Amino acid sequence: MEIDKIIHEPARLRITMILAGLERADFNFLLTTLSLTRGNLSRHMEKLEFAGYLRVKKSFKGKVPNTSYQLTQEGSKALAQYWENLDAVRRSGQP
Amino acid sequence: MNTQQNQVPQNAEKLKEIPKWTRKYAQNRTLTILVLIVVTTLYGMFVAVLVGFPLALAVAGFWKGNMILGCVGIAVLVALLVAIFICQFILIRKFGGKNRGLIDQKIDQWIYGREGMTSMPLPKTTKKMKWLDLVVGAVFLVCMLGSMNLSMVGFIASKYLQPLSVLYVVPFLVFQYFLQRPRIGPLVLIAPILYTIHAILIVAGLPIFFTGGLFMLSILLPFFGYTFLAYVIGHLYSRYALKKLRGITHLEGEAANGD
Repeated sequence: MEIDKIIHEPARLRITMILAGLERADFNFLLTTLSLTRGNLSRHMEKLEFAGYLRVKKSFKGKVPNTSYQLTQEGSKALAQYWENLDAVRRSGQP
Repeated sequence: MNTQQNQVPQNAEKLKEIPKWTRKYAQNRTLTILVLIVVTTLYGMFVAVLVGFPLALAVAGFWKGNMILGCVGIAVLVALLVAIFICQFILIRKFGGKNRGLIDQKIDQWIYGREGMTSMPLPKTTKKMKWLDLVVGAVFLVCMLGSMNLSMVGFIASKYLQPLSVLYVVPFLVFQYFLQRPRIGPLVLIAPILYTIHAILIVAGLPIFFTGGLFMLSILLPFFGYTFLAYVIGHLYSRYALKKLRGITHLEGEAANGD
């Protein structure tokens, strides 16, 4: 039983959990909610996107560029699997 | 780093609540809908006044035998109707069809822009549902205008106008909630609940209704008042949900900047 290291990182776990409750959220929402730095959040988003867990949509709101994210089906499955595995680890009393 | 990754999160149960609070926050950003309702109502009132004034002018003109005034009134009325039609056409072209929801987005950006954008899945609207929505809206309007007319001619006592209206107002509001799900949360159901309580209180003898020329307010005031209240409560709840969410998701020091 392996814990998904992409999701297990605290900030990325929170990002995926936030996106699991929504259809879509933009960079600004994640930034203000998680209180991360722009660079740090960008890096986490890139990792999640590279893993295929996120779908990115770049658009313009007036003249301001806007990037929003959506959890992919693969991401949802990985998140559900992550919690299943983690709960199993917790139940078995392993660290 | 590895040690951290191998650790089970201390607050795992709390972390599992993140989607719940995120959803509650997003569903209750209700000021957007409230502003949309107010803007639509004000637009409707503006159009009504705009059409009503030349219409009254024309009727008064013809009534008093002043043909010039009557014709001027009709001409202004026709010009205004054409202008309203063009205005409506432009609005539909800009915010209808493919751009459906654009106006909501703009208002949302204006009110909640600093917090960032969140969106809930759009309600699944089939053709059948759209038709049902139209039928329910039409039935609601007919019932409302019908009961007001019946009250005006004395078939329904002013006291029982609002309690009787529960029969069509409450199903209408509940239907609207089911139609908008999951975009809005169940907190908007506060409006039909308060509307029903209002009716019960009237039947119990509380004088919270209007008589005489203001009898229409017996329905309109609680209808708009409780809807307004429900949306304001929704907005306040979204503040609470956001605070909860930030409390759970907050990371400190190394965890916040780690990789």
